[in-house]
Amino acid sequence: MKKILFISLTVLMLASCTTQKPLYTWGKYEITSYNYLKNSDEKSTQKLIETYQNIIEKQKGSRGVVPPGVYADYGFVLLQANKTEEGKAMLLKEVALYPESKIFIDRILKIIEE
Amino acid sequence: MAVGFLSSCTTTAPIAKSVAYKGMYDEKPVTILLMPPINRSTNVEAKEYFHSTLNIPIANAGFYVIPTFLSMEILKKESAYDAELFLNSPLTKFGEVFGADLAVFTIIHKWDKSGLAAKVYVQVEYIIKSIKTDEIVYTRTGDVTYDASVSTGVGGAWGALADIAASAINTAATKYVDVARACNAYTFKDLPAGKYSPTYGTDGELPAGKKIFKANLNSKYR
Repeated sequence: MKKILFISLTVLMLASCTTQKPLYTWGKYEITSYNYLKNSDEKSTQKLIETYQNIIEKQKGSRGVVPPGVYADYGFVLLQANKTEEGKAMLLKEVALYPESKIFIDRILKIIEE
Repeated sequence: MAVGFLSSCTTTAPIAKSVAYKGMYDEKPVTILLMPPINRSTNVEAKEYFHSTLNIPIANAGFYVIPTFLSMEILKKESAYDAELFLNSPLTKFGEVFGADLAVFTIIHKWDKSGLAAKVYVQVEYIIKSIKTDEIVYTRTGDVTYDASVSTGVGGAWGALADIAASAINTAATKYVDVARACNAYTFKDLPAGKYSPTYGTDGELPAGKKIFKANLNSKYR
């Protein structure tokens, strides 16, 4: 009886492991965002932009949508690189997907206008 | 309270998440602000290692995490970039500026390397506070030993590991970013599910992790 219980528990645990697909996939986000945080040079900016594009275009998470903050930070990085129109468009995409972001996106848009 | 203490000592009876993190289940927070990590360790780089790795586990738990580069800019403009100043003071302003429900404080107490064994020893404390009530709704402190000598095989789920390995231009940075990633991933495993998670509102009976824990991690830990 104990054995059966153990086996079924193990099976259950294994099953729950294999089915746990993350809500979002992030590609090389951690290292590229670290390098950008650290250096903010042309190379690290380019790599981070590629990472954002990858997260957006090749999203494999269980929700099937772009993770929170990605459009917004991507837009922000574009703004820093003087790509104002593209950057603003990304910020607005964040608001459309995650309305809770409106409050601070409006604030950052205001900072840009200044 | 006394019961809580006793049961956390005996380890036999884990506390349910809905009890351990009652404030989070009561308030139903959606939006999370990551405060810039507080670095009390002797390693000046530790702050950035944590800063770039905090949002994934929290977003993947189902919360809206305020984008880090954007929030950094706003915090600097508002002269609020030093999280130490807000650890024990009212947080209402962050609610007004960001619409945030919770603030995550990370305090890196220790970050020591032992060259011989390629081990990194980290002591890190996580404190999540309600912006509405200033109460602590979640806190865990970990003593983590990270073994960097474990080879980065193909064990990583979803190819994330292979990605990190492939991008290893700066191997030292890659390694240390992974130390912080593993600490965050391990700690936030028991974070209550947020609004965007399929288990939102139904995970309260699951066990909370230990408030103070020790863990041995490596690059394969997901």
